[in-house]
Amino acid sequence: MAYLTRKHLSRRTVLRGAGVAIGLPLLDAMIPAATALAQTAAAPRLRVGFFYIPHGAIMWNTSHGPEMDRWTPSGAGESFRLSPILEPLEPFKHLVVSFSNLENKANQNSVHSLVPATWLSGVRPDTRASGAKMAQTIDQMIAERIGQETPLPSLEVASETTIQAAACSAGSGGCYYSATLSFRNATSPLPMEFNPRKVFIRLFGEGDTPEERDAIARRTQSLLDLVADRTRALQRTLGPGDRAILSEYLDTVREIERRVERAEQRDLTGIELPEAPIGELDDFDEQVKLMFDLIALSFQANLTRVASYIMVAEGTKRTYNHIGVPDAFHPLSHHANDLGRLEKLVRIQRYHVERFADFLAKLAAIPDGDGTLLDNVLFMYGSNMSNSDRHNNYPLPNILVGGACGRLRGGQHVELPEHTPLTNLLLTVLNKSGFELTSFSDSTGEIAGV
Amino acid sequence: MLALHRTGVIGDPARDEWALLETYCTDCHNDVDRTGGISFDDVTPGSIPDHAEVFEAAIRKLRGRLMPPPGSPHPGNARIDELVAFLERTIDAAPTAHRAGHVPVQRLNRTEYAAAVEDLLAVEIDPTEILPEEIEVDGFINIAAALSVSPAFLEQYVAAARTVAALAVGTAHPKQTSASYAPPPLTITDDQDDYIDGLPPGTRGGMRFEHNFPADGEYRFTLTDLDVDLYPRSLETEHTVVILIDRNEVFREKLGGPADLKLVDRGGAPARAEIMARFADVPIAVKAGVHEVVVTFIERGRAATDELIFGFTPYGGFSYVGEQRVPRLTGNVEIVGPFAPTGLESTRSRDRIFVCRPESPDAERACAERIAARLARRAFRRPVTDDDIATLMRFYDVGSEGPGGFDEGIEHVVAAVLVSPDFLYRAIAPRGSAAADGETFALNDFELASRLSFFLWSRGPDDRLLDLAEAGRLADPAVLEAEVERMLADPRAETLVTEFALRWLDLDDLDEVDPDDALFPGFDDGLRAAFETEIELFLKSVLLEDRSVHELLTARHTFLNERLARHYGIDSVLGPQFRRVELDDPRRFGLLGKGAVLLETSYGDRTSPVLRGAWVLEKLMGTPPAPPPPNVETDLSTPAGERPKTIRARLERHRESASCNGCHGVIDPYGFALENFTVIGEWREVDREADAPIDASTILPGGTKVDGPVELREALLARPDQFVQALTEKLLMYALNRELEYFDMPQVRAIVREAARHDYRFSAIVAGVVKSDAFRMQASPRAAPGESTGQSTIAARSSATVND
Repeated sequence: MAYLTRKHLSRRTVLRGAGVAIGLPLLDAMIPAATALAQTAAAPRLRVGFFYIPHGAIMWNTSHGPEMDRWTPSGAGESFRLSPILEPLEPFKHLVVSFSNLENKANQNSVHSLVPATWLSGVRPDTRASGAKMAQTIDQMIAERIGQETPLPSLEVASETTIQAAACSAGSGGCYYSATLSFRNATSPLPMEFNPRKVFIRLFGEGDTPEERDAIARRTQSLLDLVADRTRALQRTLGPGDRAILSEYLDTVREIERRVERAEQRDLTGIELPEAPIGELDDFDEQVKLMFDLIALSFQANLTRVASYIMVAEGTKRTYNHIGVPDAFHPLSHHANDLGRLEKLVRIQRYHVERFADFLAKLAAIPDGDGTLLDNVLFMYGSNMSNSDRHNNYPLPNILVGGACGRLRGGQHVELPEHTPLTNLLLTVLNKSGFELTSFSDSTGEIAGV
Repeated sequence: MLALHRTGVIGDPARDEWALLETYCTDCHNDVDRTGGISFDDVTPGSIPDHAEVFEAAIRKLRGRLMPPPGSPHPGNARIDELVAFLERTIDAAPTAHRAGHVPVQRLNRTEYAAAVEDLLAVEIDPTEILPEEIEVDGFINIAAALSVSPAFLEQYVAAARTVAALAVGTAHPKQTSASYAPPPLTITDDQDDYIDGLPPGTRGGMRFEHNFPADGEYRFTLTDLDVDLYPRSLETEHTVVILIDRNEVFREKLGGPADLKLVDRGGAPARAEIMARFADVPIAVKAGVHEVVVTFIERGRAATDELIFGFTPYGGFSYVGEQRVPRLTGNVEIVGPFAPTGLESTRSRDRIFVCRPESPDAERACAERIAARLARRAFRRPVTDDDIATLMRFYDVGSEGPGGFDEGIEHVVAAVLVSPDFLYRAIAPRGSAAADGETFALNDFELASRLSFFLWSRGPDDRLLDLAEAGRLADPAVLEAEVERMLADPRAETLVTEFALRWLDLDDLDEVDPDDALFPGFDDGLRAAFETEIELFLKSVLLEDRSVHELLTARHTFLNERLARHYGIDSVLGPQFRRVELDDPRRFGLLGKGAVLLETSYGDRTSPVLRGAWVLEKLMGTPPAPPPPNVETDLSTPAGERPKTIRARLERHRESASCNGCHGVIDPYGFALENFTVIGEWREVDREADAPIDASTILPGGTKVDGPVELREALLARPDQFVQALTEKLLMYALNRELEYFDMPQVRAIVREAARHDYRFSAIVAGVVKSDAFRMQASPRAAPGESTGQSTIAARSSATVND
């Protein structure tokens, strides 16, 4: 069939159906079908992903000492041993690298409010500025470099709203740095979409037939021309500060223009898409699985090569009844070194890794180039906080995972010198993604041996 | 910067108030310790206005009784109030250049966008489904500096313009689409056993929704599930299913009774499918436009044969929500169509857009120009220029060459209007030499009209406001006052509740807290929805019926349905409809007795005096506590072998540490006074986990003893202006689309003082905001944004900045 079989739902349907958990077939069914899209390329294409969990992990720095470390693996090669939290990664442990002694100075003393956004920037925001002011995050740097020939340079998603009162600061700073992982440039935080339906539409666009898609692209193009013309006209009537604000708007216009052109080249014929998801799912577990499926699909169909995912929001009050933890995550994360609470946190942290491991398993089953998608991904998984009871940021729990097109030496735990800047890891990720930088923010050097 | 007295002998010794500062503040805030980066060593009473930024911060700490910190010597409430009054008087009396701040160009947020679309085109959209989430600042999503753009935003924004334009104009021969509406989930009380609020009288169960039928024609309706399941209890007796369009019956069919029962008893699944086929692809002719659809059951006598199944309460896996053996609408309602569309007569949207109808092809372009001009004026919130029209007509010309002709041309015009930056962005044009740093000037009439109407209605000005602006009359104080009165009386002023009050109080999203099923089996989404309805109706009744805002804390009335009334221990309210109720129990009066507030300030598994205390301090007093510092131990655990203690006992032990007590000594007492309310707002006398009685007596910072919510409320209103000022600050922030600065505070206090003369009625506060210079003026931006030229030398910036 030369057209998509996806049915259209009216806007109001969505309204009604929003939040109603329905048993979606998820996207399993479409993944084999979409394989045609991943045309075999001569050189393997790297995909990069950042998977963020809030509230740290249970490491050696509780009052119980190293005995209680449930995160840090040990050894290398044959003797590489995963920790209780990371144990679900066992089937892929030859692709896992973990790091000790990482520290991020950019969010020191910020409790929650600066934690998510500084994970990938390594730069302390200027919280006295009016509006957001930090630095471009590395996912966006990488998107600029490797994401330019895909329809979407990057994809930013979350499992739930990232506007959480507990993580936003009252007054200056607001939620700018707690609500996102991604800054497109110093002043543009990117929204993290948590409605799977909207993610789906971003990925696959609208229109049922090639003719419809063409017509939509043409109209979009002419509307964008209007936006650009009139924005320039409006700019001329304003002061310098306002002109700069509108310049950023014009930048996004150019970005979308490029995207429309690339989307025209997107060939979705022969693909049987399922119905678009109806909206955010009530069932958190299903929601997380669906987001991972959408990321897998976007990598597979080469719709994007960079993804950033806030698996759970900073400061969330979410409960984990489905794994027997009825406590709200954020208050529970103030564990006060209580053994019962620590055990529950380990269960939550392990659950996140389980979902991530499912995702890896899915990628391992998708052919890509000469191997599988898993061979061609480079993922950073972890948190930008250490001991959640104390809101501190040393040592940070972070791992790299994936075949990285042969550029990552997995299956090892790397003991780094004490207080190694997290930016050393960010620099390493950048360089494995095609950069050739010698330093990044406060880095002291690339991490050797990985 | 004025020269400072650099001497230890300070100011006028006659001033008691100054002596107070000397005695109680300078032990920490001196040149040596510089606690919090502040020293008062070099200040005199005369130089207070020069250090307004620092003193405004100090005033806030003093008003909130955050300073002097608990455990330090305290002069008592009366003396503190004297010092506050003195500092405020001194600052307010000093002339200042800062009559207004700078608000940068700002885009519509997604709520404003949806409201504008409804206004312009009579198309209702759910903004959360079409545009990315907005960043909040203090809960508000209309703060200019936070309204940045992203590729995701622009992409969705342009797509929305196309979609909305197509919906608004419609087409006589639209593509067939299918839509599917899920019935609300069955809950303990909303189980479709009885009449559902909002449906026609005489019905039972079912659902209602509005659907946009794109053209006149036939649509096919399918009811996917009527609870005809493996155990067909629903078929035991005969029921009547009806479909109503705009309350007219268009379909009626029997379900259940002996014949159906026999069929499924013998035929199993195929027979059930056969029965449901009677409710599939029901053809119904509908005219274009938005229509209400109701799918429901005719209520019938409850004969003795309608056995009730007693003893079953909902539990996992095999749950009988709904005790009666009657069919329910449990599956989606699907609508597919149109089949054989016959045209497009009239819809609300078309009536609004097509202000003219071309009699002949020659007249089409002129008519299109009229339509474009009218849309553009409202959308751009200013007089339309020839250039505007020329731009839009280029879109008309392209569109009208399509198969849809004139209509299609108009659709393209509508889309072009909606993507225009003149629509998306609100700007205040610079005046004179733009370089003039921080120079203030009055808004012109159109800028004022926009500011006013976004403030009161969350959308652009209506024709009347634009007419007044065009006539140059809006800035006339009498005209402005009359307009404020008119606008507050208009239903569109509801956004002052939905966008201002609910967000100010952080009650706009009650989904954040998920009460533990095991601890609160009586809680479900039905009760959560009731909390939402109650708080919204309550806020409306105080703010929009123009009562004293004190009533937010004290009002005896509220809005209840049976479910919520029972939850509050009231058994005289029957039925699902909300209605105004006078409460007898003073513990439930005002915000502090509302389920929404109590739930939002709890965790799913326990109450949190810290969250509740911080909420009272931040929202009701306007004096937020400092955020928790990093690297502190928060050991609230129960040592092994000890009996569980109440949360209060645990917090009190934690406060034995002086460093914790500095903040928690201020925060926790407010929360303790509310400990009788559970997570879900039920009244309790005993903490079940600790098996100990609740102790809600406490001593507030400053020494006031209170026991329980009633006395807490009285204590909060002991200083009548404190709560009003907290509200006014947030209202001004919301109105100005920027965070307030220290130099705004004299105007805030002036508004509060003026409102006091009108019994603190909400309209008086709104009027005060609109009359203020801060509202009616704009300052040109300063050279380096974020740098405050008023930075005082007594605050060491480096150490004072880490407060996030």
